[in-house]
Amino acid sequence: MASGQEDKMMSPSVWHPRDATEAWTFKKLLDADAIYVAGGTLLRTQWEAGIATMPKHLIDLSSIPGLKGIVKEEHSITIGALTPLGDCRKDPHVIRHYPMLADAIRSIAASSVRNLATVGGNIASRVGDSLPVFIVSQAEFEWNTGLSPMTEDASQWAERLQEQLPKASHLLTRVHLPIIEETELVPKRFGAFHKVGRREAFTQSLVTVAISGGIKADGKLAEIRIAAGGGQTIPHRLPAAEKLLKGQIPNRELLGEVHQAVMNGYRPKSDPFATDEYRKKAAANLIVMELWKACGEPSGAGREQDGVK
Amino acid sequence: MINRSLAERRSDKVIECDINGQPISLDVPPTRRLLTILRDDLQMTGTKVSCEIGRCGACMVLVDGQQVNSCLTMAYQCEGKKITTIEGLSQAEIDPIQQCFLEEGGYQCGYCTPGMIISVKALLSHNPEPSTEDIEEALSGNLCRCTGYGGIVRSVQKAVQLRRDSS
Repeated sequence: MASGQEDKMMSPSVWHPRDATEAWTFKKLLDADAIYVAGGTLLRTQWEAGIATMPKHLIDLSSIPGLKGIVKEEHSITIGALTPLGDCRKDPHVIRHYPMLADAIRSIAASSVRNLATVGGNIASRVGDSLPVFIVSQAEFEWNTGLSPMTEDASQWAERLQEQLPKASHLLTRVHLPIIEETELVPKRFGAFHKVGRREAFTQSLVTVAISGGIKADGKLAEIRIAAGGGQTIPHRLPAAEKLLKGQIPNRELLGEVHQAVMNGYRPKSDPFATDEYRKKAAANLIVMELWKACGEPSGAGREQDGVK
Repeated sequence: MINRSLAERRSDKVIECDINGQPISLDVPPTRRLLTILRDDLQMTGTKVSCEIGRCGACMVLVDGQQVNSCLTMAYQCEGKKITTIEGLSQAEIDPIQQCFLEEGGYQCGYCTPGMIISVKALLSHNPEPSTEDIEEALSGNLCRCTGYGGIVRSVQKAVQLRRDSS
């Protein structure tokens, strides 16, 4: 039996709540001295690197039953916040209905880290590489706020983060992803995620982009959502680019305008490894490429007149 | 103020787990890293220490059959878990995966090798017929600065073939 009574006295306390409300109660009582911990992989690296100090109290979320696993219902997929990223990446429902989420998770760290790290932790970090996918997928985040559950659109949550920090006591419990089927009106759906890093695997992102949408029977685009993030950039939607595409059949001129709208709308945080300009260009190129792939090679003609707003 | 009922949720008990088939009680701080427990407390130095931030894979172990970085795993996360280290793979005789690494030159200095072997063990347990892409993904968290990975991938492919032949 290993011994370490002195170390034990100096070590942070770890609390194991039995449910989400009890976890919230611990957070309210211990306040800034405590932090929620799921897989703990990001926190551990921050503590080791000296970016953050280990707090006096850790609230272990893994002790809470019912927040792990993926359930498919008729019109949605629900992902428990404590589901390890590795489980989510391999889940057959995620692979079938949200392959871009599986792609995004595959690009996060390595499989050993993904066995510990959770979907909720990646979201709560505010810069997780899965976030652009949730934003463009009309995902809803369900939070325990102590009194009653609160559900919020992922896109609105991310937009609010640009202005203010989330409430530290709010605890993400589930992510709901709608299953959007192809219909007679919108017979083709597409979605894609891309991550640009400084090497092929196990690298921090410089740029992440996600796009989703549909193509109507007449070739016009519908329900286009575009988001970009990467590095320390909190992902956000690109409404000007989306607006340009709404109801349009893409052509070279329009894709040029979209490229420029992404360059103008994307607000990346630069660091010594990559400039803003590089990140903007990479994001714009990737989004235009995906539109090109989804809609086929664009013609050189101008924008469709009846689609102009 | 935390009341008596909530106070019971505090982790102050001895951590019980299984390491390489042996039940063990760990009277350690709940946030102590598994890597430190293995190497410093239990003198099981087959698990290597290098980056300490989950990047290099030298400290890889199996927890309930899944590969994890022991530098990122805290003691309380091991409660009730079955942990397998490199020492646990070759208790009776050398593991066939280790033999393949020997035969195919899957190592040079050998420092990353225990972590590599553990990751391959996890891969083949869950996916006996991995593609090259699967192998590369499974080993993407294990860095080797000597081999250039060619010998390592060859070793994994040989281990796959060996399993196929013996089944």
